[in-house]
Amino acid sequence: MRESQVLEGKAIVFGDDINTDQIIQGRYLQLLDYAEMAQHTFEVVMPDFVQVVEEGDIIVAGRNFGGGSSREEAPMVLKTNGISCVLAESFARIFYRNAFNVGIPAIVVKGISNQVKELERLQVNLLEGIVTPLGSGKRLVGERIPQKMLEILRAGGAVEWYKSLYR
Amino acid sequence: MPYTIAEKIIAAHTHEKNVSPGDIVDVSVDFIMVHEVLGSRIVSILEEMGFKKVWDPEKVLVVNDHWAPAPDTESAQIHVRNRQFVRAQDIKHFCDVDGGICHQVLAEKGLARPGMLIVGSDSHSTTYGAFNAFSTGLAATDSAMILATGEIWLKVPEAIRIDIEGQLPTRVMSKDIILKIITDLGSDGANYKSMEFFGSLIDNLSVGSRMTMCNMTVEAGAKCGIMPMSSAVKDWLEKNAAGREYSPVSPDKDAEYSGSLSYDLTDDPVEPMVALPHSPVNSKPVSEIGDVEIDQAFIGSCTNGRLEDLEITAQILKGKRIHKDVRLIITPASRRTYIEAMRNGTIEILMDAGAIVTNSTCGACIGGHLGVLGPSEVCVSSTNRNFQGRMGHPTSRVFLASPATVAASAITGIITDPREV
Ligand code: SF4
Repeated sequence: MRESQVLEGKAIVFGDDINTDQIIQGRYLQLLDYAEMAQHTFEVVMPDFVQVVEEGDIIVAGRNFGGGSSREEAPMVLKTNGISCVLAESFARIFYRNAFNVGIPAIVVKGISNQVKELERLQVNLLEGIVTPLGSGKRLVGERIPQKMLEILRAGGAVEWYKSLYR
Repeated sequence: MPYTIAEKIIAAHTHEKNVSPGDIVDVSVDFIMVHEVLGSRIVSILEEMGFKKVWDPEKVLVVNDHWAPAPDTESAQIHVRNRQFVRAQDIKHFCDVDGGICHQVLAEKGLARPGMLIVGSDSHSTTYGAFNAFSTGLAATDSAMILATGEIWLKVPEAIRIDIEGQLPTRVMSKDIILKIITDLGSDGANYKSMEFFGSLIDNLSVGSRMTMCNMTVEAGAKCGIMPMSSAVKDWLEKNAAGREYSPVSPDKDAEYSGSLSYDLTDDPVEPMVALPHSPVNSKPVSEIGDVEIDQAFIGSCTNGRLEDLEITAQILKGKRIHKDVRLIITPASRRTYIEAMRNGTIEILMDAGAIVTNSTCGACIGGHLGVLGPSEVCVSSTNRNFQGRMGHPTSRVFLASPATVAASAITGIITDPREV
């Protein structure tokens, strides 16, 4: 991640309480190949997700995104599908941690769920936590990413971060 | 500084002088549990990290439980990798497909003790709070870091204090209480927080019933659920962890809590509760849910598959037959549970009533095998999650309840108050 990084992509919008079983169902966890597993992303809540999603897209969600299982496969299948960032009213703690670990920024943006239209293009300033829906041009101010998570993100995920610490 | 139980345990495991909620601190981990996620993910992450040796092979438990015995070649391959890892790393504690569900096995081996800081590669690792330990779930990458270094960073949680006085009415179980509490809190009501339980009910609960409650704290988003030491825990440790040290942790008198709840079961008894699809925090008293016909009744999992759960089921089913349109699947939480239930005649009563008793595994709980639901089927289950599609087909529906309620429902074919059969 570069200091000034600004992401741009279209929004795919979800409601409250999207749990990790909904992101990827437990019965696919034995699949060792992420590309194969990623075909089943959001299968229950949005069956056409894998057709709609494009590289760089951004997930927008309501409260408590990523609750439930500790499965790291949840942010991994999002990443495999090209998702660049997740914005939500709030995150479940294990998902939040896992997202940064696999290299996807997650930003808490209060009020975002009713400010963004499905498939609207968004600009996200990662360092400042500012989100601009390009349709309305409004400026939504999210929480800043904590220092620890920025470190991990800058390293390119937790594995690289770990290597830099213990090298 | 006055500390909650979680703060006190974290403070004892870090070099920081003081800790307060919101601080991110590096802690040393006393014990880690990993299951199939080791073979499916962690091993390759460790390779990528360039790691050679586990920091302490005595402080690791590896379990093959989620798909046990393997129903397909993918699971079989994961199990093979786990066995190879255990051999190569000389891991001291290993439980293969014959042993049972990770959280139950870890407890039975006496590996959760007061004052410890435990991490598991599974969200329900909050269960060990029943033993007055700080324990939480993390995923593959964080588990890999712990295996390599014995350390991890944690955010110090705020705490919610929950006081519960009184006793459980007949056929009301600790499952009913925790379903009520997490429904009162909501799915993110305890997000990032430590849920700390106190009061006469908690002091008098069996170890199994305490584990059920701490197990489900994660459904309200909690980082951990912790209970003070009790005489039941002391007896358990004498039996299962003889000679091993531990140090019970109590909160300081003026410890600060970000919220509190209190329940008095003497004045306001809790009814058997049922969590409606598709969320564990969507519970209502069984008297308010109307007539819900079921296809499957399931008793098992790390939440409610223990001896006391099988025994109350047998008590309700004794001399009766389950409904002709219902299949009752019972999965003891561990091999030891199974053997004890067999020796004391419980299994025989269950099977005479028409139950299918499977080997110990996560199985039906995660929609893996041994009880997967078909389209539009309805299941009443003693497990902890009824997310859409969790136990099978996306159109199936799961209602969570205590083993007593599941047993009563298996007899009548509709979800039933266990006090009415
Ligand atoms: S029994 Fe269910 S909840 Fe418990 S560890 Fe297994 S899959 Fe997870």
